[in-house]
Amino acid sequence: MSRLTIPIERHRLENGLRIVLSQDRTVPVVAVNLWYGVGSRNEPKGKTGFAHLFEHMMFQGSAHVPKNKHFELIERAGGTLNATTWFDRTNYFEAVPSHELELALWLESDRMGWMLPAMDQEKLDNQREVVKNEKRQRYDNQPYGDWDERLQALVYPAEHPYHHSVIGSMEDIDDATLDDVAQFFETFYVPNNAVLTIAGDFDRDHALGLIDRYFGDIAKGADIPVLPGDPNIAPLIGETVREHVIADVPLTRVIMAFRVPPYSSEDFAVAEVARSLLGMGRASRLYRRLVRESRVANSVVTYVFPVLSGAAMLLVWATGYPGTSPQELEDALSEELAGLAEAEAHEVERAIALTETDLVRALERMSERADLLSMFELYFDDPGRINSELDRLRAVSVEQVRDFARSHLGPNNRAVLVYEPKEAV
Amino acid sequence: MSTLDRMQQPASGPVRSFEFPEVDRRRLLNGIDLRVARLSRLPMVSVNLFVRAGEAGLSEQRAGLAVLTGDALEGGTQRRSGSELAEALEGLGARLGVSTGWEGTSISLSCLADRLEEALPLLAETFLEPDFPTEEVDRVREQELAAIRQREMDPASLASDEAVRRFFAAGQPYARPQGGTEASVSSVTRDHMRGYADACYRPGEGGLVIVGDIDPNEAEALALNCLGEWTGEPAGVAGFDPRPARQDRKIWVVDRPGSVQSEIRVGHVGTARDTPDYFPLSVANMLLGGTFTSRLNLNLREKNGFTYGVRSGFSFRSRPGPFQVSTSVGTEVTGPAVREIMHELENLVAGGPTDEEVAASRDFAAGIFGLQMETAGQIASRVTQCVVYGLPDDYYHRYRDNVRAVTTEQVADAARSHIRPSEAQIVVVGAADEIVGPLEALGLGPVEVV
Repeated sequence: MSRLTIPIERHRLENGLRIVLSQDRTVPVVAVNLWYGVGSRNEPKGKTGFAHLFEHMMFQGSAHVPKNKHFELIERAGGTLNATTWFDRTNYFEAVPSHELELALWLESDRMGWMLPAMDQEKLDNQREVVKNEKRQRYDNQPYGDWDERLQALVYPAEHPYHHSVIGSMEDIDDATLDDVAQFFETFYVPNNAVLTIAGDFDRDHALGLIDRYFGDIAKGADIPVLPGDPNIAPLIGETVREHVIADVPLTRVIMAFRVPPYSSEDFAVAEVARSLLGMGRASRLYRRLVRESRVANSVVTYVFPVLSGAAMLLVWATGYPGTSPQELEDALSEELAGLAEAEAHEVERAIALTETDLVRALERMSERADLLSMFELYFDDPGRINSELDRLRAVSVEQVRDFARSHLGPNNRAVLVYEPKEAV
Repeated sequence: MSTLDRMQQPASGPVRSFEFPEVDRRRLLNGIDLRVARLSRLPMVSVNLFVRAGEAGLSEQRAGLAVLTGDALEGGTQRRSGSELAEALEGLGARLGVSTGWEGTSISLSCLADRLEEALPLLAETFLEPDFPTEEVDRVREQELAAIRQREMDPASLASDEAVRRFFAAGQPYARPQGGTEASVSSVTRDHMRGYADACYRPGEGGLVIVGDIDPNEAEALALNCLGEWTGEPAGVAGFDPRPARQDRKIWVVDRPGSVQSEIRVGHVGTARDTPDYFPLSVANMLLGGTFTSRLNLNLREKNGFTYGVRSGFSFRSRPGPFQVSTSVGTEVTGPAVREIMHELENLVAGGPTDEEVAASRDFAAGIFGLQMETAGQIASRVTQCVVYGLPDDYYHRYRDNVRAVTTEQVADAARSHIRPSEAQIVVVGAADEIVGPLEALGLGPVEVV
C-alpha cells in the first residue's frame, strides 16, 4: 500500500548508541539528529523543569568547545540548530551543508561525552535567568499561557510523571544546582540512552567511520532508572473534572481533554484518526459545525499528544467570540464529540488523504526525516515505521472510530478547562 | 584514521555545489506570467498564484479589505458551498491557503503531483468564481474583529502594532496593523469584497508559480485549461512614500499592569526592497541581531540573561518598511535592556563591524541558502518573491556570489546610512509603575505613557 520508500540502515555501537542512517543525495544538505530518552517525565518532585534547563546547559560548551562556539560554528557553516524538551525525550539537531557533517558530529559527541568539565556556576545562573524569561514570555505573560500546566494536572494524578508541565515551576528552576546538572548528565546523557540519526547527503562508509571516531570512545552508562512516581494509570478519568479560570484573556475558551491509549499501544492510531475527523482541515466536524455553520466558535484546535507512559491525551478546544458563554461552547463541543459515534467512512478517507500530503511534505526536509527516524527508533525500536506510518492509519476502520468516540470521548473521561475573560464576569 | 585530537575543529569536506533549479518562464496568451521549476525528489507539487491585491493599496477606511476578501474565498463559489469546496479539496489531500500581505494576495496549493490535475481547477474556481455568501462574509468579519481583540491583549502584538504607529506618520498604510482596524473592518460588506475581487484579482503584474514533480509543458496545459479565460490588469495603486512620524528619539510606554515582562521594540522607518544596499545591509543586520550569535543576542541573552531571545530586522517591502529590534525582558531589567540595545545600535553605527563578523555572516547567508531550498514549497516561495519584487530571473542563481562579494566597508556604510539610533522610537509594553522611572533615568529622551 505504502508509496514511501525512505531508505534505512541501523547500527549500534558497543557503548549502546543506536545509529540510523538514511541517505538522500538530491540536495547537498545533511541532518544530524539526536534523541535522548529523557524528558520531563523523569523529573522527581522538587525538580520540575530541570530536563529543559539541562537542555539549555548543553549549549554552554563542553571540554573542547567553548561557550557559544557550538552556535557560532554551525551558523558560520550556514547551518541551523536547536533542541527541544518534551515529556518523554529531549532532541538536539543540526542541519548543515553536507561538507560540514564532521563538524556537527564533533560538536554533538563532545557534549555527549565531555560536557561536565565546562560547567560552572556563572553559566548555570545565566541560563536559569534565560529559562525563567522563557517561562515568563511563553507562559506567564501570555493570555491562556498556563493552559497545558492546568490541563496536565487535571488529566494526570499527582503521582503520575505527566502531572507537571515541561517548563516546570520557577521555584524548582531557582533551586537547581551544579550537582543536579552533574547527576542528571551522568544518569541520562549516556550513549545507551540515545539515538543518533543522519539523514541526507553523505557517504555511508565515511559517515560510519566518523561516528565510530567521534562517539566510539564515550563510555557506556548504567541502566536508566525507573520513572519517578507511578506511571500506571486507569485508562479513563472516570468522571468529568473541571477547572474554571477567570483571567485576563480576550475571549472565552473551552478546552476538553481525554485520556486515550498511549502512543506505544496499537489503539493510538484510532485516537489519531478520531482527532483528525474532529479538527483536521476545513471539512472536519468541528470546523464545519462550530466555526462555519453555528459560528459559536471563531477557531477550533484538536491534538493528540504522542506520549508513552500510561495514557496519552487527546484535546479539543474552541475559542468563542465576545460575549460567547462557556456553556454554549461546551455544549457545542459535547454535541460534536457525541456525533463522532456516527462517523462515516468518507471522512476517514479524507483524513488519510490530508495526512499523506502532510507526511510527504514533512519528509521533503532532511531535518524532519531525521527527527522522525530518531523518534521511531527510540520509541519503537523500528525506524521503518517512517514508511509504514500511513498504512497504520489506513488500517483504522470507521467502526473503530465510532467505538472510540463512545468509549473515550464521553463525560466519564473528560477534563474541562474553561477560560473566561475577567471583565465579562 | 589518525588519532583524534578533540581540541581540533574538523576540516570541512569537499563542497558540493548547490544550484537553484532552472525556472521555465513563459507568458500565456491571456497574460499570465507562468514560472515552473521541476523538482522530482518526492511526488509533490506546490503552487502559488500571486495577484497584486495588497493592503498597501487601500485607504485608511478600507484597511483590511484585501485580507478579508482573501479569507472569505474559502466561503464558497458559485458552484459549491464552503463545506463542499473543502470536502473536494481535502478529499484529494490538497492543502489550499490564502495569504494576504502589503504587496498582494497569494493563493497556494500543495498536493501529491498526480492529484494536481484535479486540484488546480478547484484553486481556479475558488479564486475566479467566489460567491461571498452573506453568512460567510459575516463570519470572516467577526473572526477578524475577534483577532483584533486578541491582539490587543497579547503583549507582543500590542507592542508591534504600537511600534509602527510611532515609526510611520499617521495615515500611511504601514502605520496601521496589516489586517486593518476595528472601525475599518466593521464597515466591510459583501459588495466591497465582490468589487475588490473583480477589480484586483487580475493576472496582470501577478504570476503563477508551479514547483515540483511536473513537466513545464504539462503545467502550461493545466494552467490554460482552468485559467485560460482569465484576463485583465489589476486596478492601479497610488504610490506613497513612507515618512517617519518624528525624528527625535522618544520612549512610549503602553501600560499593562501586572506584566512580569516588558515587550520592547526599538526602531524607525527602514528602507525598501530595491535598495542598492540590500546585501551589505542584510549582513549588517545578521551580525547585529539576525542570528543566535549576533551582538544583541550574545549581550542581552548569553551575557546578561535579560531575555529568552532578541532579534533585529528590516522589513524590506516595495516601499520602506520598518527596521526594528524586538525582545521581551524581565520587568526589573527593562531599563538596562533598553540601554544595552541602544548601546549596540550606536556601537555598530559608530565603530562598524569587524572583518571576522562580516566573514561569519557572509558564510552563514551563503551556506544557509541551500538549506532553505529543500522543498517544493520553499522554492515556490522564492520564485514568487521574484514576481512580487520584480527581481531579475537569475537573482537566486547569483545570490551567493552577491553575498560573498560584500565587504566590511560596505557593511559599515550600510549600517551608518540605514540605522539611526538618534531617531529611534522606543516602545515598551509593560507595568508602567515599575518601568517608567528606570526608563526616564536612561536619559534617552522624553517618556510618554500612552
